[in-house]
Amino acid sequence: MNATAASILRFLARPVVSQLAFVILAMLLWEVAARHSTDELFTSPPSAVFAAAGDLFDDKGVMRAVVTTLWELGLSFLLAVVFGLAVGVGVGASGMTYRSLYPIILLAYAIPQITILPLFVLYFGPGPASKVAFGFSHGIFPIIVNVVAGLRTVPTGLLRSAYSMGATKQQVFRRITFPHLVPSFFTGMRLGMTATLLGVLLSELYVSSGGIGYYTELYTESFEPHNLFALTGMLALMAVFLNEVVRRAEIRHSRWR
Amino acid sequence: MAADSDSRPVTIRVEAVEHTFGGDDPAHHVRALDRISLEVFHGEMLCLIGPSGCGKSTLLNVIGGMFTPSSGRALIDGEPITRPMPAKIAYMFQESTLLPWATVLENIMVGLEFQGVAKPEREPRARVALATVNLQDFAAHFPDQLSGGMKQRVSLARALSLGTEILLMDEPFASLDEQTRMVFGEDLSQMLATTRKTIVFVTHSLAEAVFLADRVAVFTARPGSIKEIMTIDEPHPRGPDFMTTDRFARLRNSLYAQLRDEIRKAMREQQVPSTID
Amino acid sequence: MNQTTTSRLIQAGFVAAVLLTWVLVTSTGLINPIFLPNPVDVMEELGQMIADGSLWADLTITLFELVLAYTAAVVSGTLIGFAVSTTRWSTRVFEPLFAAFFAIPIIVFYPLTVLYFGLGPESKIVHGGMFGFFPIALNTITGFATVDRRLLLLAASMGASPKQRFVRILFPAALPIMITGYRMGFILTFLSIIGSESIASLAGLGHRIVWYAEALETPKMFAYIVIVVLLATLLNTIVAALELRRRGA
Repeated sequence: MNATAASILRFLARPVVSQLAFVILAMLLWEVAARHSTDELFTSPPSAVFAAAGDLFDDKGVMRAVVTTLWELGLSFLLAVVFGLAVGVGVGASGMTYRSLYPIILLAYAIPQITILPLFVLYFGPGPASKVAFGFSHGIFPIIVNVVAGLRTVPTGLLRSAYSMGATKQQVFRRITFPHLVPSFFTGMRLGMTATLLGVLLSELYVSSGGIGYYTELYTESFEPHNLFALTGMLALMAVFLNEVVRRAEIRHSRWR
Repeated sequence: MAADSDSRPVTIRVEAVEHTFGGDDPAHHVRALDRISLEVFHGEMLCLIGPSGCGKSTLLNVIGGMFTPSSGRALIDGEPITRPMPAKIAYMFQESTLLPWATVLENIMVGLEFQGVAKPEREPRARVALATVNLQDFAAHFPDQLSGGMKQRVSLARALSLGTEILLMDEPFASLDEQTRMVFGEDLSQMLATTRKTIVFVTHSLAEAVFLADRVAVFTARPGSIKEIMTIDEPHPRGPDFMTTDRFARLRNSLYAQLRDEIRKAMREQQVPSTID
Repeated sequence: MNQTTTSRLIQAGFVAAVLLTWVLVTSTGLINPIFLPNPVDVMEELGQMIADGSLWADLTITLFELVLAYTAAVVSGTLIGFAVSTTRWSTRVFEPLFAAFFAIPIIVFYPLTVLYFGLGPESKIVHGGMFGFFPIALNTITGFATVDRRLLLLAASMGASPKQRFVRILFPAALPIMITGYRMGFILTFLSIIGSESIASLAGLGHRIVWYAEALETPKMFAYIVIVVLLATLLNTIVAALELRRRGA
């Protein structure tokens, strides 16, 4: 009996189990508090939120907005990866390009992009184009920075030893620079994904004439917290899922680090 | 240094090599090497020993064709060296220069690929080289899964696999613990007895120099020049017995006597803030 | 000519080219001034805003939100982070939870914040505090969890009391990593306040940028963008200087 109790305790003490238990406990507390609260409007219990989530899945308008957001994300991330890699390779290609161009990249990176969000809408309109452009403008910088870092931090010992064995420039790139770049590139993609998500969601929420921003504003103004919680939860889960995908890819490609 | 009357064939000849670091600004000049001339005979193990910063590694890089001195030159078999010569010279560095993303076997094969060995030959040769350092069971391991000593054995196997006449070793055991170094030294001596490669070996360790070298070149403090060349007349393979002989202790002590003043000189120099970084 | 001079020249040339292009395309009417105003007009608007004092109301509100949000983030992040770091178990349970949350663009929670706290400064303070909390808590955990065990052994061998152990070893050893968290937290808090002001608000610098953008008064909008960029640079410089001084101490 005692052994069973101990093994149950050990099971509960495992981090993953504890994390789940913690989340479930928080939801239960929230549910109880919401049911006993006098003002249910402001404490949507999880049961109500889950019910609302079901309804949202049936709402064609909401689903269309979510799907649009997803493909905006995909497109801006793809553009950020392609251009980030190209610019990063260009900047990191040599000591000269690095010293000349990298400070310019950092200068551009330092401008708080959120301040120019209205400009994106002004230039690209309130539709998907401005969101893709804004997401791209967020995602490209971490990718550039990490690609440059990957290219500029190849240990000199490896290069010296390769040249001592007679390696040509192409061989050094293929066997040393490129494999050394791969993990940094994936780190850049992970950070770029986080940034792209932020950019796309920021612009989605900013434009309230359509898309997700329309629904968040609608639910806020018409006081529908269940729906707002459900939509927020959906977006948050989407973000967690996408982050996890790129994080796994990063781990898989940087085993040697 | 007196002209050598030795009749053995000379493999490496260093002629009046001089080097000054510091680029265009004469105020920042540091003389590193002071007209060094030297011969390395075929099949011999020559150790370079000297205080930190005396330029012994710089000289090794000149011989390896990795570095062009301000004046003077080095020749291999009578041919001046201007760039790395992978067909004749293999290098072994102090730090591990194994590719962390490649397995032990792949690391050796990449070296052969760099050297221009045809693809089908690479794997069999790499396996043979691994066997000579007794690491055939670790072919599929990654460098990070190996101890420091094993990593350096892989580096040695890689250098040996290139099949060069000359091996240049830049403090290859410096980051290993003493026991590992001693075992490594014995293995290397064993290898010298059987393969007769021409080796130039940079070290900080007196015992290592006496144990391994056929001749030891003692460097002065910066600017480095050769103070004395000491001959260690003991056939390879040398075993632990050699280390306990009186002769070993005497040789080690006389080597230290040669070095002592130079080390003090180098230490005094280091207390003055250096003008180069 | 040495390499540093060459790269400096390339950089200066780039910045000059951008400014020159800006002046040229706007003065020649190549680009509609609604899309890109003339820099001279922007400077005039900027002077006007400062002269007539219309800038101060929004600046004060943004700074007020920033101070409260950042203070809340520092206090809660440090206390909770430290509490979590005290046992290995709580570190392994909560650190991944915080990290997962930190990877979500917290901006998605902003509509909820508005729902509960309204359009005024309260929602910005709560949202900014939430944004700043995670890097501070995560770095506090990392800072305390990665203190060199040998230092603690050394302290124990010399008979340090728990208080001495904390004051002399744990805290100073964790501080550099914590400071990195404070700096990241500051930047995120600032950006999220401007961001939340842009999305839904009644006042503040971010609100003003959007306001003028929607009114198509782009010179005024650019003037406010300049203010925010200058403010960000100034605050960043101050935080970086404080960070350097702490590290030096």
